[in-house]
Amino acid sequence: MSQVRQPPVTRTRLENGLQVVVAPRQGVPLVAVRLLVRSGASLDPARRFGLAHLTAEAVRRGTRRRSGPKLDAEVEMLGAVLGGGVDEDAAALGLSAPLEALPRLVDVVADVASHPAFPPREVERLRRREVASLAHDMDEPGVVADRATLMSAYGEHPYGHPAEGRGRDLAAVRRGDLTAFHARHWRPSRATLLVVGPVEAEPVLAMARRRFGAWRGAPGGELEIAPAASAVVPAVVIVDRPELSQVQVRIASAGYPRSSPDHAAGLVAGAVLGGGFTSRLMEAVRVNRGLSYGVRSAFSAGRAGGLFSFSSFTKVETAGELVQVALDEIARFREGGPTEEELERTRGYLCGLYPLSLETHEAWAEKLAAVELYGLGPDEVTGFDARVRAVDQAACLAVARRWLPVERRVVVAVGPARKLEPQLSRFGPVRVVTARSVM
Amino acid sequence: MARPASPTSLIDLDAVRATVLPNGLRVRVLREASSPTLSYATFFQVGSRNERPGITGISHLFEHMMFNGAAKYGPKQFDRVLEARGGHSNAYTSNDLTVYYEDFAAEALETVVDLESDRMRSLRIDDEALEQERGVVMEERRLRTDNSVHGLMEEALESLIHQAHPYRWPVIGWMSDIERISRAECEAFFRTSYAPGNAAVYLVGDLDPEATVALLERAYGDIPAGPAPEPVASGEPEQRGERRAEVRYPAQGPSLLCGWRTAAARSPDAAALDLAQVCFGVGESSRLRRKLVHQSALATSVGVSHGWRIDPGVFSIFVELSPGVKVERVERRLASELEQVAERGVTAAELKRARALLRSSILHELGTHHGLAQALGQAEALLGDWREAGRALDIYAGVTPAEVQRVVRQYLAPSRRNTVVLVPERGP
Repeated sequence: MSQVRQPPVTRTRLENGLQVVVAPRQGVPLVAVRLLVRSGASLDPARRFGLAHLTAEAVRRGTRRRSGPKLDAEVEMLGAVLGGGVDEDAAALGLSAPLEALPRLVDVVADVASHPAFPPREVERLRRREVASLAHDMDEPGVVADRATLMSAYGEHPYGHPAEGRGRDLAAVRRGDLTAFHARHWRPSRATLLVVGPVEAEPVLAMARRRFGAWRGAPGGELEIAPAASAVVPAVVIVDRPELSQVQVRIASAGYPRSSPDHAAGLVAGAVLGGGFTSRLMEAVRVNRGLSYGVRSAFSAGRAGGLFSFSSFTKVETAGELVQVALDEIARFREGGPTEEELERTRGYLCGLYPLSLETHEAWAEKLAAVELYGLGPDEVTGFDARVRAVDQAACLAVARRWLPVERRVVVAVGPARKLEPQLSRFGPVRVVTARSVM
Repeated sequence: MARPASPTSLIDLDAVRATVLPNGLRVRVLREASSPTLSYATFFQVGSRNERPGITGISHLFEHMMFNGAAKYGPKQFDRVLEARGGHSNAYTSNDLTVYYEDFAAEALETVVDLESDRMRSLRIDDEALEQERGVVMEERRLRTDNSVHGLMEEALESLIHQAHPYRWPVIGWMSDIERISRAECEAFFRTSYAPGNAAVYLVGDLDPEATVALLERAYGDIPAGPAPEPVASGEPEQRGERRAEVRYPAQGPSLLCGWRTAAARSPDAAALDLAQVCFGVGESSRLRRKLVHQSALATSVGVSHGWRIDPGVFSIFVELSPGVKVERVERRLASELEQVAERGVTAAELKRARALLRSSILHELGTHHGLAQALGQAEALLGDWREAGRALDIYAGVTPAEVQRVVRQYLAPSRRNTVVLVPERGP
């Protein structure tokens, strides 16, 4: 089998605590720069859900040296777009541009991370825009379903709200909340700078020292989030959208954190059950019954926990049938696990596709960031094949029996409650909620 | 720091091994061994443009049928065999094209050639598969169009812009046509549209070009050449005044979608229109994002698109309004922004920014085997020559501010505007 060619990776911790990772790699004359800060949505204070996300957006709206518009123009003149995002564990700033722009890119990222000005007018506009965007998201049934699933499955745990936050919380955020959150959580000791491309490690490191060396922040270790519960509270939730002719359906149960020894077996089991075009769920739902266009199931995992989730959609009349088919397939898998043929095929599939997920400098920067964030081993990439090929039927069965939903699961459907309730009540007591209540 | 490579050295197009088999199949093979993978793309020169009322959506429905088994690899075998060998496949249909692709570990090449040539030679079209895919496609339509604000607006816009041209119906087809397309129509469609003479194969990655071409010749050589496809009725009367449509739907707030019929991909104006697109709407410092989102806060988001098509395509601007803002106000503002560029043009700095962004996006595309194979295929299908894939950077470099101003004045004129307004209404 082909092996991924791993670039040499240099990891250096600067005096202020910033971790710098440089991976020289041949290829197109672009360079990827990424800054990861362990300040994710799980650190959102109560009644301020969305603060981590808003902070990561707001740092890009101006620094002491550059106004927001100047920053945008400078970056875009280089052929880059300064992207960013927040998940439950971390915020990330990332961009990639032609190689000659590297010094400017590093300067911009350092400036944004360490000296954001949070200009009041820009911050206020941004906040209003985020509130309005959330309202528009109510028109996306898939987004509504994902939000409701996260909230139902994690409950009160810090992972139990979407990173984008909640409308009423964002409406209440003030500039002071952002400056305080930044001061507390955006510290060099909790950040990693990653540079991947046709570069040499030493000059990049020198550049990082010059630009990031003056970044100060209170020292201090991790703010660990308590582990998520090992089982969800069973529920059937219908988000009422009377006008829809198609229902978004989710089923979720508790999973494991990313560093769990179950990860490799979960990857294989999740793929046999609901990855690719030949999975059991794809065959049962799409190929044999024509119930849906898309079906997926997989484990997702963060630092403090994870979920197993099933995701699909179907016309209103067949929503109950879709849930039943999915639960039956999941139960059958828990009972017997994968066949040898399925195992062999899925291992080949996962190992063959793995190099394709690491074709670009950006993909490598993201992967190396994940290694840092989740504390994965140095053989995370090079050992992938061996770990996946070592997953046997017993390992899949063990993971399936530990984590796949039977009784302890949430079922979420977004569609007309009047027509859905009679179909879904057989899966447990139904709670009907408005779309607004999950936004 | 090393200097960046000059644009044309990014892909050495002289290294593309190109040949046409006696049955008409075009084969283009490129070795690029930076990662141990291959991308395999089969382009059929057929899309919704080649359809007629009654069978709208047949190209897309047929894309689904192609995964349901052929003579050697029966039902469900295509993806099973491919996935077991470490690959994955998918396909897409556009107004002009149907494209199948596989991305996989390099050693699976022979298997993929066998799978692809099998279905081009001997696809099985039976009633059971047709009924099943019909159901799946109807769900796809419900997902992307009938339950999607964007989908409904896009569909309305294309029908407004094109009165006679086949671009007026959606790629996925009208629901009533998806329901009625017959097996006989599918069989006739396959004979013509999927004949080797209507197709091209692009292979990029860690391979031996000579051996690969020989392999393709052996695998595809015996497939008979098919009949020539029907010519397309591609006429369209000139638009003489704005056209408007409303979409009423239970949405949270109003949105606005404006579109103009522009130029064919082969037109020298296509590149200037791309640059106009980036100046108006790509990046936070683009004109419309800066003015509508950041400065006036009239909108929560703005998207501008310009797609290249065989016949004149569409330039469109989508605006999601901020709460409490009236549609009329945004329409006036948008019109005045366009008028400004039509009268005064864009600045040299704006054009420089647009070129830099386009350059990065081209480099990104050419940075993967998949992106390279697609770029070669798109260039040949839309521009008539795969070599055009390597010229994109030079073409953008040659566009002047005056040309951007001219295409905005010429194509994005108020009298040629098509406007779709999403009017939120209460649900049932």
